[in-house]
Amino acid sequence: MKKLIVASACLLAVTVIAGCGSDDGTSTETTDTTTVATTTTTTETTPPPAGPTEIRIVVVNGAPKGGIVREKVDKDDSVVLVVKSDVADEIHLHGYDVSRDVEAGGTARLRFKATIPGRFEVELEERGVQIADITVTP
Amino acid sequence: MRLLAHGIGVVRDLPIPAIYFFIGAAVVLGASFVLLFFLWRRPLLEAHTGGRRLPPAFSRLVLSRAVRILLGTLSVALLGLTLATALFGTTTELLNFAPTFIYVIFWLGIPLLSVLFGNVWSALSPWRALADAAVWVLELGGREARPVLEWTGRWGRYPAAAALFAFVALELTNPRPFYPRTLGIATALYTYWALAGMAVYGREPWTRYGEGFAVAFRLLARMAPFAVRDGSVVVRWPFTGLAGDDRTRGALVFVAVLLGSTSFDGFSRSSTWQDLVGNLRVELAGSSQRTVDLATTFLNLGGLAFFVAAILATYLAAVAAAEKLGRGDRSLVPDFVLPLVPIAAAYLAAHYFTSFVITGQFIIPLISDPFGRGWDLLGTAEFAPNLAIVSPETVWYVQVAALIVGHVAGLAIAHDRAVVVFQGRRTALEAQLPMLGLMVLYTLGGMWILTRG
Repeated sequence: MKKLIVASACLLAVTVIAGCGSDDGTSTETTDTTTVATTTTTTETTPPPAGPTEIRIVVVNGAPKGGIVREKVDKDDSVVLVVKSDVADEIHLHGYDVSRDVEAGGTARLRFKATIPGRFEVELEERGVQIADITVTP
Repeated sequence: MRLLAHGIGVVRDLPIPAIYFFIGAAVVLGASFVLLFFLWRRPLLEAHTGGRRLPPAFSRLVLSRAVRILLGTLSVALLGLTLATALFGTTTELLNFAPTFIYVIFWLGIPLLSVLFGNVWSALSPWRALADAAVWVLELGGREARPVLEWTGRWGRYPAAAALFAFVALELTNPRPFYPRTLGIATALYTYWALAGMAVYGREPWTRYGEGFAVAFRLLARMAPFAVRDGSVVVRWPFTGLAGDDRTRGALVFVAVLLGSTSFDGFSRSSTWQDLVGNLRVELAGSSQRTVDLATTFLNLGGLAFFVAAILATYLAAVAAAEKLGRGDRSLVPDFVLPLVPIAAAYLAAHYFTSFVITGQFIIPLISDPFGRGWDLLGTAEFAPNLAIVSPETVWYVQVAALIVGHVAGLAIAHDRAVVVFQGRRTALEAQLPMLGLMVLYTLGGMWILTRG
């Protein structure tokens, strides 16, 4: 379990760095990277505000690459799910009820603010396949 | 962005933190030993089963024909609406009235009412109401409504257990359990099962042994502080209705289906099971959707059957040990079935509390637009459910508290039964140990599943 957390935090760190294009991340603070989402102090000190937490999911053959993606975010974080898929379907985040169509070979971005604590499934709606499991911790 | 009034499976519980688990476990173990060593030595519960009669005027009102007709009409109308929306409404699962009504309002709401107020299903069952109406019409025409065959009792409660298993299998093994058309066909089939059974064997036998929901709700209602005796409503101590044994064939299997399905539901949402299903789908990536769905269904069916079998096996093992220690000469299998009922109710409460309070709210917009056509019949279509209505901490307290209450109640009932069954205090105490172990296992097992992320 601990391994999983560390692994997912590392993955997140990588995606955040890649996503923001910032290059100063030595990514040693594994737990802190999950809470990259803006706090007022950081916006004041660093001129370009830190972007929302990005969670990347790659769908191959209608299934999530590397298994169901599990991520934790804190309540009130801004989150973007970036789903790259080789099949056409509808990406649906339960609970927050955000859904977006994705074309075969396309990418869908689902943006939401994590206001409700709990665990939420992300599904390929038409296939009924779960691709991610987002935990919003209070 | 497209917003859907999405309901079922909307928010799942966060796993309970280890500290809640350990505190819960400590209370369970402590309470168990206190109960075992310091409590009563003579059976207590059976004496209280009767209860105290409520004023006759109240009983007459509650049990009146007018109330039955009113509730029956309402429930038949709801059955009709469920069938119509499931078969002809939108196929977008959660814009349709049927899925939320069946899985949340009916399947979670009626057990709650049964535990609180007694066997309400006898007045709320649409199938019973239809059968009553059919008999009434026949008798009006001067004919006698007689069952085709006599119920011999040979099959015991197995038909009801099979019916309940079919329902939980539909809910828990099918990759798309909320798909309205599937639910429409299932509702039609179940309606046939309930009505045909009552026509063939008579209303009362089929309600007691064949109609799975009626049997489940009646069993849960035995916990309730209210009951009906000889035409009047009585009030009694909760759980006293579970005193005694249950010698109906298949009683154990029925309870095992109830317990096993709820625990499998919890386990199937854990990452362990989800990854198993996910891997299977990856393995079958090249196959058709139908093959993948079928394989998923079979995997889930295996899991469900395993959980039911595990409940049966552990119960039988504990009873065998108790028989050995008690040196009795008869089977004790029927004696400790009823103590499992509060545990089953606790499982239901712990696993479905969030679903009920959060998903239940979606029925408010759905009732205004049951077919998902953009109607607003009652002006509630725009109602926005509050998904953050309960905090995770509240959910954890409710879950742990439900399991502890269920456990203590089950244990007290089992203890009461043990002092009836075993002669001599020493034997009674020794022979109770396996049952105590069994119940601790069920309660901690149920709690452990809740800690799984």
